[in-house]
Amino acid sequence: MKPFAKPAAAALAALLTLTACGAGGETAPAAQGPQPLRMTIWTSNEAHLKLFDEIAAEYRKTHPDVGEITFDPLPFESYTTTLTTQIAGGNAPDLAWILESSAPDFVSSGALAPLDDTLRKAPGYEFDDLTPSAVKLWQAEGKLYAYPFSTSPFGVFVNTDLLKEAGRKTPAEMIDEGAWTWENAAAENAAVVAGTGKAGMVVRDFDYKGWDNLATVWGGWGAQPWSEDGRTCGFDSPEMVEAMTFLHKSIFTDKAFPGPGTTADFFAGDAAMTITQISRASLLQDATFGWDLVPLPAGPKGEYSVIGQAGLGVFKNSPNAAAAADFLAFFTNPANSAKLAAYFPPPRASQLTAETLAKSNPLLKPGQLQKVVISGIEKGVVKPNHTGQAELSQTVRAALDPLWQPGADVKAVLGGVCAKIAPMLGT
Amino acid sequence: MTTTHPKLQVPDRAGARPGTGTPPFWTVRRRDNLVGYLLITPQLVGSVLFVLLPLGLVVWYSLHEWNVLAGTFEFVGGENYDRLVTDANLREVLGATALFSVGLVVLNLALALFLAILLNQRLRGTAFFRTVFFSPVVVSLVAWTIVWQFLLQDDGGLNGLLAAAGVEGPNWLRGEGTAMLSVVVVQVLKNVGLNMVLFLAALQGVPAQLYEAAELDGAGVRTRFLRITVPLISPTILLTSIITVVGSLQVFAQIAVLTQGGPGVSTTVLVYYLYQQAFQFHHFGYGATLSVLLFAIVALLTLVQWRMRRRWVFNET
Amino acid sequence: MKREIPLRLKTLLYGLLCVMCVPFVFPTWWMVTSSLKPIGEIFAFPPKLLPADWDFSAYAQVFQLQPFASQYVNSLYIALIVTTGTMAVAAMAGYAFARIRFPGQNVLFVVVLLGLLIPSEVTIVPLFQMFHGLGLTDTHWPLILVPILGAPSVLATFIMRQFFISLPGELEEAARMDGLGRFGTFYRIALPLARPALGAVAIFTFLHSWNLYLEPIVYLSSPEKFTLPQALTQFVDAYGGPMWNVQLAAASMTALPVLVVFVLAQRQFIEGLAHTGVKG
Repeated sequence: MKPFAKPAAAALAALLTLTACGAGGETAPAAQGPQPLRMTIWTSNEAHLKLFDEIAAEYRKTHPDVGEITFDPLPFESYTTTLTTQIAGGNAPDLAWILESSAPDFVSSGALAPLDDTLRKAPGYEFDDLTPSAVKLWQAEGKLYAYPFSTSPFGVFVNTDLLKEAGRKTPAEMIDEGAWTWENAAAENAAVVAGTGKAGMVVRDFDYKGWDNLATVWGGWGAQPWSEDGRTCGFDSPEMVEAMTFLHKSIFTDKAFPGPGTTADFFAGDAAMTITQISRASLLQDATFGWDLVPLPAGPKGEYSVIGQAGLGVFKNSPNAAAAADFLAFFTNPANSAKLAAYFPPPRASQLTAETLAKSNPLLKPGQLQKVVISGIEKGVVKPNHTGQAELSQTVRAALDPLWQPGADVKAVLGGVCAKIAPMLGT
Repeated sequence: MTTTHPKLQVPDRAGARPGTGTPPFWTVRRRDNLVGYLLITPQLVGSVLFVLLPLGLVVWYSLHEWNVLAGTFEFVGGENYDRLVTDANLREVLGATALFSVGLVVLNLALALFLAILLNQRLRGTAFFRTVFFSPVVVSLVAWTIVWQFLLQDDGGLNGLLAAAGVEGPNWLRGEGTAMLSVVVVQVLKNVGLNMVLFLAALQGVPAQLYEAAELDGAGVRTRFLRITVPLISPTILLTSIITVVGSLQVFAQIAVLTQGGPGVSTTVLVYYLYQQAFQFHHFGYGATLSVLLFAIVALLTLVQWRMRRRWVFNET
Repeated sequence: MKREIPLRLKTLLYGLLCVMCVPFVFPTWWMVTSSLKPIGEIFAFPPKLLPADWDFSAYAQVFQLQPFASQYVNSLYIALIVTTGTMAVAAMAGYAFARIRFPGQNVLFVVVLLGLLIPSEVTIVPLFQMFHGLGLTDTHWPLILVPILGAPSVLATFIMRQFFISLPGELEEAARMDGLGRFGTFYRIALPLARPALGAVAIFTFLHSWNLYLEPIVYLSSPEKFTLPQALTQFVDAYGGPMWNVQLAAASMTALPVLVVFVLAQRQFIEGLAHTGVKG
């Protein structure tokens, strides 16, 4: 062990120096001159960055005390990893986009600064305009820890050409008849599969791994993976068993959904329907087939909707936290929120109108926007979320794997999921 | 490590002038030592700064509960190490890791050697085939795994081919056994070119006369391979096997894309597991502990390979 | 010289080689052809071997959307420095460990060898802390210093040691008789003979640096400082979805030049190895 003694001591010394530096950085008196701000984001889209830079430039005109505002694009796939590495390394940004799936972790960790006071005080901010269903995920103990700058509902995109080819009614017609239910939707898709050889209903990004996307299905049965307070497992509830039995039968018996290990891209015209966030409409710009966007089908428990979100928060430990929160208030004020709405559906009730949204979603018709987007956001619930989501998610994924076999015992598998995750929910 | 040739061993006082009573301080041996130390200095300094120091820090982290988001860093002693024992997943993860590494090493070395032998024949166009087998090494990992995901899916290209041959293929990435096999094969195809090149170079160094002489003595193909080829390229086999074993324990991006460690945890190898714990589940302390475990395993394996080399590797006496 | 191979065996060998090519070539083929397809066609199933319409616009977009040319330069110059530096460090250390006997050699070699055994995921956080402490994040220094001196160069040192160990001792002996010192023997005699092994090191090192993914993402934040693998992740549409055709065009441009260099260099490299006798 002798050769290790010295380096270990050196390591220790280095650590002490580093932590000392880190601590020094946090408590250091505000440096002279304009302070720069850094925001990590996961888009590197040119148009987005241009808009952000414009907003930042406008802000700096009235705030000479703020230096350069940079937007650091990190790759989406490794976003949280990179962000946490930077935080662990003592280089946390001042502001950061936060993925929906890590929202509870960030919100409950105490890493973020509460925003309510700053936002309420900001002139003309209209804090109460924010839709309650949109901010719920980002609140803890009555305080808002991140602003949900993007709130995008899930809808069903439909390839109307394929339905016609199979001689079936379109979902729009079924909605008018009040027949747009999961039972009927499954029958439609099974018919398309049988009639055209293409795939049926694709739950996008599920691929038998991203199970939280199934919330768009089991919501119709009123099922939940865990209770509201996050302490009790819901996978073995009668609603969940019923919903999953339906799903299992639709996949393996009726073939209404493509089976495990089969991918079909709706946007390439290979599937009859897909459940995804409405922002994916952009992929249909050059579509060579007729399409429509409709709300999720009703389940036994009636109509429901699901939203996907992204938040923007300020790190409490940043030496510029106050300036960062102030910039956040400007970045998301009514005027800028309207600009951002071109890409990210806003959480503001006053901006959730078919006219505002139509400007930014030229591919969608006002009727589609009203039915799917506006009412979707108003009554939407977010996908399942919990502190320690990544670990829970991975555990559930592994425990659900036996379900995706033709002869699976649905009830037993779901009971097994609960057995696995119960200890994680208890804490 | 007795690496110098006996003839090269220089007597301590070879540099001393005859007749003088006190030998000068800078004997040949001392000068040799100095040159030796100087030559390894950059590598050694780098190792201390960029390997040992970070490793020491990782050990230090492993004694703590570190919540990066909350900014808490508390000393917990051996708690994370106790968790290694109680972690219900770890046993399966270690099993998957062993299976993955053994499968990868065996398949990679066998295929690399096979390809190298094929391309060492007197055939036209070997340069073309060499490039083909090497090409995946430079292709982006993302593109590579996406295509394979396509080919391996239930109604994908591979099963299409099998169906044409009248065989019903399994659902490769979803079955417990086939998922591991698929991940191993995709990884082997991506990187086998590097080992192939090293083997090829080694094979070209085997003097043809040896084969001819053996043939005259009536040795068959098998005997020639086992008695001539293998011993003569054994240092390369040692090199490639160490590189591949070590590399196999560091693979995870492909697994993340192809199976996310599933079905169940059947393809969750140790490095993927520690990545999940540290970066996705935010258990940095436990992730560090798993790092220490991974490090101990790799170090042990390498030590065994290194110790065993004298038994079978030429030139390492 | 070996005898000619009989025709039947030859046909069999060619057949075998061609069949084995398929799984190696297809993904590359798909990558290149898909970069020429409109985005909707890329994931069509079953995949098409050739684009229906050849569409080169993705290649232009690569340069419009990112400072791709400077990112290319970054990757290239970092890889070249790392390759040269690693060759120097590894040749020196490899030679010393293989041919000079000095006290503590075994222990020091084990210390160095440790670097071979550590996945970069393990040390990325402490290394990031160190470089952040030095104020070197968002610079290329970590991407240059760590590979040359740290864990990645250990593999190179190992390859060089394996080479030097098999060098005939007589050569060095003769050099010493001629009055060359230890360093002279290394520099004048052993190093020139090591060209093929250095070639192997160069290929490994260059590819390692060229494909480095995790480190640039963690260390760099300004797009004009990005390296290629990092740049590949940056082509996304207005809704965060990957622009596959542009990504694949960029990926093709990243891979193909390296492949061309390999084609040009491989013969010299492989045959060079044979002639100087890294005979196993």
